[in-house]
Amino acid sequence: MTPRQRFWFIWGMPIALGVLSVFGLLAALLGTGAWHWASWVSLSILLLVIARYWWFPSPR
Amino acid sequence: MTTATTVKTWYLVHKWTSLVCTLFLLVICLTGLPLIFHHEIEHLFDEGKPVAELPADAPPASLDRIVAQAKALYPNEYVDYVYIDDHEPQVWVGMVPELGKAVEKGHAVRVDLRTAEVLHDGPPYAEDRFSFMGIMLALHVDLFAGLAGELFLGFMGLLFVVAIVSGVVLYGPFMKKLEFGTVRAARSTRLKWLDLHNLLGIVTLVWAFVVGLTGVINELSTPLFRLWQSTELPRILAPYQGRPVPTALASVQQAADTAMKALPDREVSFIAYPGNAFGSPHHYIVWLRGNTPLTSKLNSPVLVDGVTGELSAVARMPWYLTALEISRPLHFGDYGGMPLKILWTLLDLVTIVVLGSGLYLWIARRKATDARVAELVRRHQQATPQRSPA
Repeated sequence: MTPRQRFWFIWGMPIALGVLSVFGLLAALLGTGAWHWASWVSLSILLLVIARYWWFPSPR
Repeated sequence: MTTATTVKTWYLVHKWTSLVCTLFLLVICLTGLPLIFHHEIEHLFDEGKPVAELPADAPPASLDRIVAQAKALYPNEYVDYVYIDDHEPQVWVGMVPELGKAVEKGHAVRVDLRTAEVLHDGPPYAEDRFSFMGIMLALHVDLFAGLAGELFLGFMGLLFVVAIVSGVVLYGPFMKKLEFGTVRAARSTRLKWLDLHNLLGIVTLVWAFVVGLTGVINELSTPLFRLWQSTELPRILAPYQGRPVPTALASVQQAADTAMKALPDREVSFIAYPGNAFGSPHHYIVWLRGNTPLTSKLNSPVLVDGVTGELSAVARMPWYLTALEISRPLHFGDYGGMPLKILWTLLDLVTIVVLGSGLYLWIARRKATDARVAELVRRHQQATPQRSPA
């Protein structure tokens, strides 16, 4: 792996989830209606990611 | 590039900041669970009358009439503040038998905003501290130790934030060869919980960081208000120096109207009466909230002369009070309806698992973790060319 590939291998998902969290936290603060839904959905994704890897660990 | 020594340093930072704060953070996370729903819980156990069933556009009663209702119950006491709820059409009128003794002797009367009917004559705050929610709040905020407790738990929160940052730094070297989300469940319990600790920690990172940091800022609210009082108010208060707190006050509705004229498109959220501990000895401080989702969380203070009811000044909001106000919703999770509160609860539970697994990893297999770090250090030393003395 090149250094760049190595970086994204480790940090790709954490950064994506971090951006999603920031969006989720701010959406409900700055908007109403659809923005509340956007907030609920994006923060729920965090919990779904946890559930996916916790309950269905990839065989290793 | 992370070098071997810095990995070790960050590991020590993570270990010690976590160890010191974990037990307090566990208490904070557990007591935080009912506090997320404090509005609903208080509603459930409410001993007072519900607000009157009136159409949504029913006009509010005059604040003078509302305050008069509370004063009628306690004719010999002072009004300390008026707080207008932003969820339901009701007003809390804070009362004190003695000025400046709100914490020890204060209590509040809840009044319907439209009918000016008394809904509930609340118990003294001092008594309320030992109700279920009062105990939850004290364990969450100040451990029954007032400002000292607030600063102590604030410091624990700061350690938690440092633990999060150092945890993120360590995530890199730990995950070098592992796919995101790897949970090695089959090999050993310790390894499984190490992987879960890393997974749950990194997924909830931003949420835990934001809630942790805004919690620290909330713990600083008393000193921040004191700072604002001592830097912003003296300029405005100079002409009133040495005068006693006025006894014949201007109408509170007039004070509210004056403030709303000074800052149009805003509504009154809180009025600190002259003599209020967080106010001015000579003014009504009228806090106005905006009408957009964001500005409804941001209050601006207007000082109204307590005797004449005329505008004294629109006080500047320093950056640290704005930071404090924005920290409240981001900490409480009360700005996106019931679904957001439920998400807050679940993320709080995940944080409890992260704290618990961290503690477990330390207690159960201290040696194994130390060996893993030593291995990481060794690997780094092999990977980077060593400069040996010639």
